[in-house]
Amino acid sequence: MSSETQQILTTDGIPLEVSLKKAERRNKIKAFLLVAPLLLFLIITYVFPIGDMLLRSVDDKMVTEMLPKTFKAMEKWDGKELPEEEVFAAFHEDFIKLVEEKREGKLSTQLNYTKNGFKSIIKKLRRKSKNFEEGNYKEQIMAVHKRWANVEYWNAIKRRAPAITGQKYLKGMDMYKNETGKIVSVSEDRRIHRILWLRTLEIAFFVTLFCFLMAYPIAHLLATLPMKYSNLLMICVLLPFWTSLLVRTASWMILLQQQGVVNDFFVGIGLVADDARPEMMYNKTGTYVAMTQILLPFMVLPLYSVMKTISPSLMRAGKSLGGTPIVAFWKVYFPLTIPGIGAGCLLCFILAIGYYITPALVGGASGTLISNQIAFHMKSTLDWSFASAMGLMLLTGVLAIYWVYNKLVGIDNIKLG
Amino acid sequence: MKTISKLLLAISFAISVTTSAFAVTAVSWGGAYTESQKLGYGDPTGKKLGITINWVDYSGGLSEIKAQKEAGKITWDIIDVFAMDTINGCDEGLFVEFDFDKDFPPAPDGTPASKDFFTSMPSKCAVGNILYSWNYAYNKNNVKGTPKTIKDFFNTKKFPGKRAIYTSALTNLEIALAADGIKPGKGGAKIYKALNTEKGVERAMNKIKALCTDPKGGCVFWSAGAQPPELLVSGEVVMATGWNGRFFNAEVGEGAPIVQVWDGQGLDYEYFVQVKGGPNDANGMAKKALAMMTSTEMLAGSAKYIAYAPWRKSSIAIMEAGEPWYKDGKTNMVPQMPTAPANTKNYFLVDPIFWADNGTELGEKWEAMKAGL
Repeated sequence: MSSETQQILTTDGIPLEVSLKKAERRNKIKAFLLVAPLLLFLIITYVFPIGDMLLRSVDDKMVTEMLPKTFKAMEKWDGKELPEEEVFAAFHEDFIKLVEEKREGKLSTQLNYTKNGFKSIIKKLRRKSKNFEEGNYKEQIMAVHKRWANVEYWNAIKRRAPAITGQKYLKGMDMYKNETGKIVSVSEDRRIHRILWLRTLEIAFFVTLFCFLMAYPIAHLLATLPMKYSNLLMICVLLPFWTSLLVRTASWMILLQQQGVVNDFFVGIGLVADDARPEMMYNKTGTYVAMTQILLPFMVLPLYSVMKTISPSLMRAGKSLGGTPIVAFWKVYFPLTIPGIGAGCLLCFILAIGYYITPALVGGASGTLISNQIAFHMKSTLDWSFASAMGLMLLTGVLAIYWVYNKLVGIDNIKLG
Repeated sequence: MKTISKLLLAISFAISVTTSAFAVTAVSWGGAYTESQKLGYGDPTGKKLGITINWVDYSGGLSEIKAQKEAGKITWDIIDVFAMDTINGCDEGLFVEFDFDKDFPPAPDGTPASKDFFTSMPSKCAVGNILYSWNYAYNKNNVKGTPKTIKDFFNTKKFPGKRAIYTSALTNLEIALAADGIKPGKGGAKIYKALNTEKGVERAMNKIKALCTDPKGGCVFWSAGAQPPELLVSGEVVMATGWNGRFFNAEVGEGAPIVQVWDGQGLDYEYFVQVKGGPNDANGMAKKALAMMTSTEMLAGSAKYIAYAPWRKSSIAIMEAGEPWYKDGKTNMVPQMPTAPANTKNYFLVDPIFWADNGTELGEKWEAMKAGL
């Protein structure tokens, strides 16, 4: 009771607390409305597609719905020997229905993702099934093509039974779940994704490292030179940045190939013999050179913007307090540039990890990266769920790096400009 | 003045409405190839039918059209695709299925369309437009002697130097087996029979591996069609597999010292498909345009601009009668065709069904092999 009497009222009789809250809420709504377009933009262009990707990568109801009777009949089957007539009959029934709905093509595409070789035998089955006699479907289906009498193909069908599956992720790691439910690796001559993941990480790591080693002195020079020189140098950094990626890649090819400009020069000055020209293109060297040059500005610019803010008097102070230039640099200057290093390295690494045009053109035998594989499944096989799964694995990798960075350096320390 | 401008506005509006209603969008690979399609049969067809045919470039694959369909807004009518994509797209229900002899006109002598085309179609949704070749070429300034056979491509003792080959498994495996002594047989049937076995695939891979690891040989992998002639001219490689149209352009168009070898060539095809539910599907205009573009005379027209063979046998007769057929007015085109008798003594037809079946798995094996080089 006493509190009520102590309440402060505004002139129109509303308690001050309520009135303040009201005003505050109004401000909050205004603020929210200001950011709403951006939020909406982020949801539409970022959250929604990634959510869609996630769903796509695990969703496998299409096949589950296409072969309901087959999967029911397969429940009892142990997957060791060819299934019984019952399964074949159920499959036949499902299949005839699909042919009527003209959906057997989709089934063949889907099954071909799980095991190569389904496309043609399903086409053949469609042709032959028109003349099938009632009963004994096992014999009749097996007579269509010898793959139908191969237990591995029936196991591949069974693997598609669950409506939600993590198989695509396993496939991205060159593994699969066999008929006993154990997760095993695919045969050795097909283990390509692991190689690609490691190669992608390796190339991204070294490109980032080379970028850092080269960009640090450049950025330092940019930040400390008098304006008239630094402007010129800045243009030298930015000009390639504005040039098309393909043009830069192609120029490296012309420069570095065995009959290229650089090699001609080496031979001309007698550094190497004409028949022993070093290979600098169509291998990893070429990839490193071209990618480092292309990504260099992404390292130089954040470093420069951070170094620009460091007062030169700090280094002088360090030296006047008795440090050698190296000590002063290491103890004073370097730590202050860490936010820029962090930003530059993260940028370079994340861009490098998703690169594919440049390595595909200059990389030679080892040119393919994981992004090429993703593009292959997006464009060519149309296995979008597998492409999504690999895309998400790549995204998870990037997030993991971000997390490690946050633990080691702290994300508040990042500075882009 | 005011009335005139109003009138003009009304006219331009009327024109834009009519043209937009009958503007058929055809999608193809761009560059000299699309140019040959546009000049060879696109524009003449448009003129005859009184419509506009707009050419849009893309980089292959079905992802864009699939995305258009999923978004419910299809803007393409006709697409130029690989054989494998006609099968995959037909299976996915993206394309219109044809009633071939009813939808496409017969040859001038009355031969039905299905008999006039070089082979049968890989799927019900496809109609062929050109045949091109995966052959090889060498730089005559850098090679001593004259390579003549597909075996010579792998013969590093006689012809030392690096080779450029395609970056993925497609056609490389076939060529390797042809060079390893398997006679292709009718249309390459024996090669594909061998490739259907693990042993055959291993044999092909080993052949390539031996070439690439040979200190006298070595491989450069190309991914863009412009690369093989460029690599040959720059001297980076002494021999390269590639698309015959690109070699022809460098050799005849630009006078480069390149010689093509046709032994063991792989004949491959390009097709048109019609998009189901495209903007001009319901009004029948897309199909009408497509039928006219793939008629005898029209298909022959494109060979004026590029060294790819028209699908119809009757088109070749028109070219023969009109030699020199090339746009420069002095080059005979029939001998440049991948289907010319002199060039098809030893060849295989790239089998789209085989690649639709095994493409992914062989692709993985191929990459694994390359990673070990």
